[in-house]
Amino acid sequence: MIRLEGISKSFERPVLKNVDLHVPEGCLYGLIGPGASGKSVLLKIITALIRPEAGKVLIGGRDVLTMPDLELHEFRKGIGMLFQNNALFDFMTVYENIAFPMRRLLDLSEDEIRERIAERLKIVSLPGFEERMPAGLSGGQKKRIGVARATVTQAPVVLYDEPAAGLDPVTSQRIFDLLRAEQQAAGATVLMVSSDLDRMLTVTDRVGMMYRGELIFDGTTEEAYASSDPYVHQFVHGIPEGPL
Amino acid sequence: MAVPDDNASSVGQLEETGEAPRSLLGGLGALVIGALDAAKAQYSVFVKTLYFTVRGAPQKGAVVRQMYEIGNRSLVFLCVVQAFLGLIIVYQAGLQTLRVVPDLTLLGATFLELLVKDLAASICALMLATRVGAGIAAEIGSMVVTEQVDALRMCAADPVDYLIKPRFLASIIMTVVLVMVAGTVGYFAGMGSGYAFFGIAPKTFVNFSLVDFGDLTVGLTKCVAYGAAIPVVSGYCGLSTFGGSEGVGWATTRAVVNSSLTVIVLNFFISGAGFVIFGG
Repeated sequence: MIRLEGISKSFERPVLKNVDLHVPEGCLYGLIGPGASGKSVLLKIITALIRPEAGKVLIGGRDVLTMPDLELHEFRKGIGMLFQNNALFDFMTVYENIAFPMRRLLDLSEDEIRERIAERLKIVSLPGFEERMPAGLSGGQKKRIGVARATVTQAPVVLYDEPAAGLDPVTSQRIFDLLRAEQQAAGATVLMVSSDLDRMLTVTDRVGMMYRGELIFDGTTEEAYASSDPYVHQFVHGIPEGPL
Repeated sequence: MAVPDDNASSVGQLEETGEAPRSLLGGLGALVIGALDAAKAQYSVFVKTLYFTVRGAPQKGAVVRQMYEIGNRSLVFLCVVQAFLGLIIVYQAGLQTLRVVPDLTLLGATFLELLVKDLAASICALMLATRVGAGIAAEIGSMVVTEQVDALRMCAADPVDYLIKPRFLASIIMTVVLVMVAGTVGYFAGMGSGYAFFGIAPKTFVNFSLVDFGDLTVGLTKCVAYGAAIPVVSGYCGLSTFGGSEGVGWATTRAVVNSSLTVIVLNFFISGAGFVIFGG
């Protein structure tokens, strides 16, 4: 479903080096790795928000990077995304924030939109928050609203950048369980970046590990736990001593 | 440049003297290329803004909200600036005129012509470039660094359509209105100055004889051009923000400088075109 071929990107220094990655259809794929290893950049390259210097991004067999602007706008309708900083529109209420992608991407009546928003807010344990402004929310509440917005259109491809950052362990596990349930219900292909390995790895089908701009591991979650690669072993088991 | 050895000091000096202009030229060339690239990108934003003005998605209330932000919130500021400028210009013009001829009967008419043709629009636009331009760049720049602009793109909303177009339309409308209101305030302030310092009767000061169709056309053209340019230039500066809060600061500074420069350059070309079409 998502296939990356030879992706390279530099800013002041190389950030991604010839990355190949394949996320099969209907798979929940977890991308792990130390900070600044290029995970978030990779998510933005998949959506063509950042253009790589080399490589191809194929989603459903179509090359995203060669699409003209208007086609890309249409194509993005099939992709949901949660950003690392939540990216809630700070001039809109919570209701308007969640309604925005539905109004832009789906053909729904206002009643249907209202119904879906109420359902989403209940799922993320924030019922009655419709009229609140993002500035008045805590970090964890913003994250949950971000999750509600990313999942509300039930897109076939969803990308999550740190969906549990800043959340307490209970809420974090709830969010991962919710994302897993959503993914299974919709049969969506999900690529998820998270530092909360203990909880993320309970829901992923496959795992990839990035290190210094390279994909150094790709396998099932069980293979990741059992890996003898010193980098993967140290990172997955959270061992302070080691090559990382 | 190769490091000169001890026996090649003269060659080394020649190389050094030869290289200084080259690096200066290189620097100038890079500046020109950078400026041309920026101009091309701004032109592209302008064309996209025009496209979305015709073909973009309608946004309920967005233009009216921006009209309030750009218009109502700038009104007092612009009126105060125009009033003080009206006072000063009439006072200075009166003093200079009295050195040449002891007749101030046409001072009001000349001042009005100047206001209509150039001063009201240009001064208002320069003030709007600082107040509105900085605001637009800071707002859009903050949205860029907090990934809100990326989130817009992911919702199939082009940032030019969603963020710049409403400001573009609101700015054109409100610049015309603000220039008319602030210009009128400036004219009455000038009238007060003429009466207080030179004893010119308001009846004599209010004289429309020098204002013709050409002046009105040139003045109105400037209002529309400045109103269109400020949000496009500032919006582009906002959209090209990179980094964090420091980047937003730079974007704001660039927006004020570039918008002000654009106003002055547009003034030159529109005045020139007005002179060619309508005469002096």
